[in-house]
Amino acid sequence: MIKITPEELKTITKYIHDICGIHLDASKKYLLETRLSAIAEENGCGNYQELYLKAKRDARKTIEKQIIDAISTNETLFFRDTGPFELLQHKILPELIDARTPRSALMKTPIRIWSAASSTGQEIYSISIVLKELLGDTSKYSIKLLGTDISESAVTQASTGKYNKFEIERGLARDKLTKYFTMTGGFWKIKDEIRAMVNFRKLNLMLPFSGLGKFDIVFCRNVAIYFTLEDRKKLFNKIADTLEPDGYLIIGSTESLTGICPRFVPKRHLRSIFYQLK
Amino acid sequence: MTMSILVADDDPVIRRLFEKRLQDAGYTVKVAVDGIEAAGYLDRSHFDVIITDLVMPGDIGGIELLQIAKERDVLTEVIVITAHSSIDTAVAAMKKGASDYLEKPVNFDELFFRLDKIAQLRSLVRNADDLRNAMDVTESSAAQTIQDLEIAAAGFQLKLDRIDDILRKSSLSDYERIDKALQVINE
Ligand SMILES: C[S@@+](CC[C@H](N)C(=O)[O-])C[C@H]1O[C@@H](n2cnc3c(N)ncnc32)[C@H](O)[C@@H]1O
Repeated sequence: MIKITPEELKTITKYIHDICGIHLDASKKYLLETRLSAIAEENGCGNYQELYLKAKRDARKTIEKQIIDAISTNETLFFRDTGPFELLQHKILPELIDARTPRSALMKTPIRIWSAASSTGQEIYSISIVLKELLGDTSKYSIKLLGTDISESAVTQASTGKYNKFEIERGLARDKLTKYFTMTGGFWKIKDEIRAMVNFRKLNLMLPFSGLGKFDIVFCRNVAIYFTLEDRKKLFNKIADTLEPDGYLIIGSTESLTGICPRFVPKRHLRSIFYQLK
Repeated sequence: MTMSILVADDDPVIRRLFEKRLQDAGYTVKVAVDGIEAAGYLDRSHFDVIITDLVMPGDIGGIELLQIAKERDVLTEVIVITAHSSIDTAVAAMKKGASDYLEKPVNFDELFFRLDKIAQLRSLVRNADDLRNAMDVTESSAAQTIQDLEIAAAGFQLKLDRIDDILRKSSLSDYERIDKALQVINE
């Protein structure tokens, strides 16, 4: 394993912050070495300064992508924390549908939901399963579900909707598994009816959100924890801008917006919290 | 943690040999005369490892037993025993999730080596599981605390906003403002 010098540690952590917002301090030295050593070697670099220069010069950004994939935590699971999905099914969606159902029966009820750091897709697919369970026939609704992540490989896996037995068994009840997935070649694949409800694209939450449009519900869970306080403030401010005035925001179960975005007020329902604009 | 092993083989001599050698090595062993009996045992108890002959009389051969075991618990490791001439079937078994195969006659040193590896793997998996569980407990208790604080902080913010409003009300006398502000604080 290639050792990192104090100088390189500064350069690399700043570089990582610049490309994806992930904030690493000096205590993460060992993590950097274990995660980046192989990338350096693979790209013919003898040290991290070389890797940094090569990554910056690389017009196709292959090394940058490798570094993001190596540094970011894609850890996620179906129905993570359960609370938010119960909240969605029993409170948020019924409320939203009440508010959005058009007078004319000819028009469809719009529902737009965004999973802002969708990783390998489990979160947004859990949301689509909730929608399907709640609504049954979805033809009266105009549903737009969007999953975005900075990691290209995560977005690719999310798009294929294929999961191995370890990914699938965590969090997903047996009845939902057989109802919404099919087994192919040792993998569980999400059924087309669910897959078709969701779009995925690559998006860096540190950059301006262009062309995203507005959402009724935003899930932004377990990603801001990797950012600095300043970056979190900017992020949730931008999210507030993408949310409909009566929209809903859900953050990770151990996250807080106190001191981060005064535009949101927390509301409690049973054992879960959601946020709405003031 | 001693591993429990189920051996399925229709040859009584081999069965006894397995039972003795494995027991001597400190494993908990159960033997079955064929796949059907073995499947019966699987209904009643849990085993860490299954060692099974591939070819056995009756409807449940080694491959079928493997499938039954994996359906019960994917973490059960299955080692299949095969004659040299049927390596292909052994490979097919590996594709279906067997962790290893051994050729007849069984070399016990080799078997113990594989079992050690399985034990190591299981303890790693166990550790990871324990860690995950510990993390889940910490996380859900932290989540509860954070929720309470979040709601409390929002409540205080609301009060502050109201007090701010009151103190700025020029229509009230100083005394009235202080009085009203104190009322809000003491609510
Ligand atoms: C721990 S996962 C969270 C997944 C899911 N939201 C959940 O709670 O289970 C964090 C994800 O954030 C992504 N990520 C990190 N920095 C990002 C950024 N600047 N923009 C968008 N996504 C980012 C990572 O690629 C990773 O997939």
